[in-house]
Amino acid sequence: MNNFSIALKSSNDLVVIMPKGYVNDLGAERLESTCEQFFNKGIRKVVINFSDMQYLNSIGASVFTGMVQKTLEYKGLLCFTNIKKIHLDVFNMLGITKHVKVFKEELEAINFLKGKK
Amino acid sequence: MKKKQQDLKRLLFNIASLVDLGQEVTSAKGIDEKMKTALYVVTGMFSVPKAGLFVYNADRHKLELVTCKGIKDADGTSIDVQTKYIKAFQKNTPYNISEARNNSFYERNAEAFRRLQAKTLIPLFAKDEFVGAICLGKRLSRTSYLHSEKDTLKVVASQMAITLHNSSLFKKIKNQVNENKKLYQNMRHIYHDTIQAFAAAIDAKDVYTRNHSYRVARYAVAVARELRWKAKEVEGIYIAGLLHDIGKLIIDKGLLNKGETLSAAEIQEIKRHPQISYDILSKIKFPWKDVVDFVKHHHERIDGTGYPDELKDPDLSDGVKILAVADAFDAMTTKRTYRKKLSLFDALREVNKCLGTQFDNRISKVFFKVLQKEIKGEIKEAQILPHLDKDFDPTIITTLLESITAELSY
Repeated sequence: MNNFSIALKSSNDLVVIMPKGYVNDLGAERLESTCEQFFNKGIRKVVINFSDMQYLNSIGASVFTGMVQKTLEYKGLLCFTNIKKIHLDVFNMLGITKHVKVFKEELEAINFLKGKK
Repeated sequence: MKKKQQDLKRLLFNIASLVDLGQEVTSAKGIDEKMKTALYVVTGMFSVPKAGLFVYNADRHKLELVTCKGIKDADGTSIDVQTKYIKAFQKNTPYNISEARNNSFYERNAEAFRRLQAKTLIPLFAKDEFVGAICLGKRLSRTSYLHSEKDTLKVVASQMAITLHNSSLFKKIKNQVNENKKLYQNMRHIYHDTIQAFAAAIDAKDVYTRNHSYRVARYAVAVARELRWKAKEVEGIYIAGLLHDIGKLIIDKGLLNKGETLSAAEIQEIKRHPQISYDILSKIKFPWKDVVDFVKHHHERIDGTGYPDELKDPDLSDGVKILAVADAFDAMTTKRTYRKKLSLFDALREVNKCLGTQFDNRISKVFFKVLQKEIKGEIKEAQILPHLDKDFDPTIITTLLESITAELSY
């Protein structure tokens, strides 16, 4: 994947993951493994900020499906923020948003998660 | 209206995903990566977090896991599939595992299905051949597959079936090629061993020429490599070196080992050996070009006074010229029935003296250069030096070689 990277911000019990660029091949698997690494460290609150994600296809959708599944297995909390409508439509269509909280801005998600145990 | 819009979006997503799948299965990626990516496309299309792709092993009647997603410790998972089940499968059609809990197929594989958390099995058929299966787990949407989704799954399954089929054909061909390569290598070893045995038999006839053929072959290889011959051509001259005196097997042993001066008739008899070598070897179809030519003419001379055909320079190939120098040089540096061996210094001077009459200038210059490089340690795998007596002074020999090659450059 030439056009994909991940930025991370973590504090205490919360991590913000920012996929950047094209989420359209197996390189995006790193998102799933990154998420799992935080779960294993005991950080169960995850925000995914989509503001820099430019493109999503079925392979990318599969990766996010995997992240949601991991969140369910680890009994974590997953929030999506800053999603473009076209991507939100895909997540809705696939039933992914049934298992995550969607916020407009990252800060809203962080504040929401801070209030959660 | 909203429903129609959603259906349209779903349709567009499915089309885009099918395009993704098409691109993946026809990409230049390795088959394992291709299969994994294809499985990701399917799991992304239907929001399935856990899935596995299996290939059918007809010898073991088992579906063997090729790749999976979201399942830990799945390596080695297999599903028992007997012929009666395959016959019952509908081609590339999703099969609800939970509806089949009471049948023997499910019971036999309950543990594997549990480990995979499999809910749906899609048997993959390429034309009429059962090639594998996709196991899909629970969907994130927690919904069952709609009719239209099942149709899409069928399309996806047929595409993956063809890819799996092609990959197994490719693997079979690859295995066959590897098998053939091994066979070829074994045959080559046998071939070489047989030729070496022949060479040993040739040299054993004359007590003074033990290992002569082997050394000539090595010297010839050194020159051919320096001339940047291709590996197969180098191998060819090596074989020619080993067999160049095969005709001596026919010559009377007493004559070959006779210490006294030979009569004219006896010399003529010995001179028959290149022609006899040719007669023997021309019956063999060698995989290397010109072996027979090299052998027949290794006693020809540049000035046309050699034997058996008295060929002159333009008619002599480089291979013949190489073998001529290598053969004569080894004869000079080893003891013969008719004379003592020459020192390296004298042998080199003798070769130099015969340049332009017996030996070719260009080829001999290369021979001198290789020897020079070997003495200086510039060649990793020395071919000439290990067979020479170590009693020479490297400085003197190097100086001699430098002066000869310098003279030849003018």
